[in-house]
Amino acid sequence: MSLKVGIDFGTSNSGVAVYDGQRVQLLPVDPKNVLPEVIKTVLYITKDYRTYLGQEAVETYYRDNVNRQRRYVKQWAGEIDVYGADMHYVRDIFVYVDELKPGRLLQYLKTALRKDNYQGTQIFERYFTVGDLAQTYLSLLKKRAEDVLGETIDAVTLGRPVKFSEHPEQDHKAQETLRQAAHEAGFKEVDFELEPIAAALDYEQSMTKPQNVVIFDFGGGTLDIAVMRLGDSKNRKVYASGGVDIAGSDFDRTIIEKRMLSHFGYGKVKHHPEIMDMIHAIPDWMALPEMGTPINRNILEKAIQAKVVPVRLKALEGLIYNDLAFTFYNRVEAGKIALSSDGATIISLEDKDISLWELYTRAQFESDIQHYLVDVEKVLLDTIAKSGLDVEEIDAVVKTGGSSNIPLFTGMLAKIFGAEKVKESNAFSSVVAGLAIKARM
Amino acid sequence: MSSFTDKIDEWMKEAEERPESALTIVRLIARRLRELSERDEELLAENIALQNGTRVEEYQKRITHLEYQLDLIKRRFGVDEGTLVELPTQPVESSTVNLLVYNAQGRIFRLELNQEVKVLGRITGDMITDHEPPRILTLPSNEEVLLLYTSGRVSTYKVNDIPLIELGGAWEWSQAALPDEPRAGELLACIAPFSHLPLSDFFLQISRRGCVKKTMTSMAQSILGNHYIGKGALQKSDQPFDLMLSHKKDRSTFVTYEGKVIAFDVDDLSYATEERIRLTATDYVIASFTTRADESLLFVTQTGKVIHRESKSIELSKSSTAKGQALIPPSRLEQGVRFMGAASVKDSDSVVVLDATGRLKLYEAGSMTGAGSIEADGLILSIGIIPADSAKRGAS
Repeated sequence: MSLKVGIDFGTSNSGVAVYDGQRVQLLPVDPKNVLPEVIKTVLYITKDYRTYLGQEAVETYYRDNVNRQRRYVKQWAGEIDVYGADMHYVRDIFVYVDELKPGRLLQYLKTALRKDNYQGTQIFERYFTVGDLAQTYLSLLKKRAEDVLGETIDAVTLGRPVKFSEHPEQDHKAQETLRQAAHEAGFKEVDFELEPIAAALDYEQSMTKPQNVVIFDFGGGTLDIAVMRLGDSKNRKVYASGGVDIAGSDFDRTIIEKRMLSHFGYGKVKHHPEIMDMIHAIPDWMALPEMGTPINRNILEKAIQAKVVPVRLKALEGLIYNDLAFTFYNRVEAGKIALSSDGATIISLEDKDISLWELYTRAQFESDIQHYLVDVEKVLLDTIAKSGLDVEEIDAVVKTGGSSNIPLFTGMLAKIFGAEKVKESNAFSSVVAGLAIKARM
Repeated sequence: MSSFTDKIDEWMKEAEERPESALTIVRLIARRLRELSERDEELLAENIALQNGTRVEEYQKRITHLEYQLDLIKRRFGVDEGTLVELPTQPVESSTVNLLVYNAQGRIFRLELNQEVKVLGRITGDMITDHEPPRILTLPSNEEVLLLYTSGRVSTYKVNDIPLIELGGAWEWSQAALPDEPRAGELLACIAPFSHLPLSDFFLQISRRGCVKKTMTSMAQSILGNHYIGKGALQKSDQPFDLMLSHKKDRSTFVTYEGKVIAFDVDDLSYATEERIRLTATDYVIASFTTRADESLLFVTQTGKVIHRESKSIELSKSSTAKGQALIPPSRLEQGVRFMGAASVKDSDSVVVLDATGRLKLYEAGSMTGAGSIEADGLILSIGIIPADSAKRGAS
């Protein structure tokens, strides 16, 4: 009999689970992680195309990259035709390539699936499409799961957000790219389930009587909402579902934009457009590594020599050229997570040229992301309205996903539905557990 | 983008909204204040050093040291100012493998080795002078050497400046070069290859009674300028035995006359002279060298018996009171078996052996360990190693 598992291919974290009809087993696919059942959706590809995922990817990346040596060499990249009124000539184009770069770390693979302007990336000599990246990650994850189970996995139920994209065409394309990637990773049979519905299936295991339930799945990449009738497996019903592209990564980006950029010269640097470009690239995890060119380093060095906010620009140089961006994003994310339980936290980054310290309070955080609250509340109420139920008819609201623990949103749910109706679930495993149950159906 | 005052207002707001956050904020700020005050102290100290010129002096010294190292490298690779534009990847000046045989009176024979000769020659006359047997050292002809005397004095010479002696002959000590005659009351303790100084971290001195002294190579300018590095011994009766250049991560080993061997990490040593092995009253160090993982250790007794050990089988000593691992069993010790030479070798290396008749012979290290003994005309006095990967030997 072929084995079918559930895989939650999340924006920040992923997981694999299997259901035997009685019990869901979350597979410890990342033994190096604090929670072995949760694996970071991070892929590291080395120059010789060895691939690592999860915590191992992060550790290999740190070991090989942080504060490493760089050596730029000029490489021919192609040619361009230049046409004038009475002339035409061809010009060679060269790029500077860091030939000592040992590998590329890739994260937010799922976000890349829904970006219509992101087709893929060049990794050393090979171009990886978004599908290639997803396939690489899924095949490694499949191998890990097979090693845990000791048998071959043939089929999978993959989770997907309610909306990959607002545009149906892009949404369909993202799902089909993921399906193709899963097939190429070795899964013969691939089907999908909406992530909030998967979370509902997991929650249903603990129910004793039928209820109207709102699933509030608020993760790293998207907010997904489902309004369902649960508790009677024969009479399960999805009244409505909805979602929006707001989630943890947007909050991280907001924190960086509002609180961190000044540490790298924002607001102090004027009349240096190239440096401003570098500063503006900081919140963008895709754009920042591209800034690490020898020309930009020269510009920064000259500005530092000219005493243009030298300490902050040295920090910017360190962030870009010492490969500290990943550490920096992690520190911001850790600060945000800490504010779910504490009133204040420190976001800090200490390295050779950086001494960043920011005391960040929950009040500041809530003020910074206030505008998202309005959007989230609107999507939630719209989805409830679409379900045809009144708010009073909702029996329970089940929170899942890391961002659902942010007190601002917990407070919003409590205000709308009443605190007693807001139920906790395992933020990182309820979706994958539900996907495993779905895989067995 | 908020100003610092705005930030403080926001912290206050948090404390007002959630009074329990006030404690967290105070704690975090207090911790930061402590860090900043420590950093402030460091910066103030740095400022003082800048103002009173200490830092400038330090940098000047460092520059002088770097210039000196550069000079040494240039000399080693035979580069003059005119050709410095592009450093050659191969040594410009071809070098040959040379053998130095020297005694405590500062007499040095220099031989140019070639591929075919197995019996290198013979020294006539007294082999033991001032109770010390002659010592053997292999090195490239373009090397620079440091001569260490028992008084702690040092001097440097180019190997090429020492006259060559013909292979295969019989030589008297009076024919040997005497580049720097020991002064009254001092003897030549050892000769050490020296041109790797810029690539090394420390000078390591070992005394006859097992004391070790580590000195940073950044002190080289001062040591060579003053012609003095010190004895590196604690007891007055003790005297310097060896000096070598080493790296932080090197593992150094020394072997004693009565068969004790001890290894230690160079990085763990203190800069002060310290006794690293407890020796009996009659014991003393007869060999010291740096060991590598891919090499094995070879010990030779006075009668030509060869003992072979994997370098990893020697325990690393962290204690200064260690007695070392005994390689000669007590029964053999009673029979008078003693070590006369030891070295870290690869099987493909060659070993030069000097016996009491003054004959210098070459052996393959692999065959020595395989046979378990070597044939010599008299008691073994000293051994030296010719690494297989050393510069090419002179044309035969």
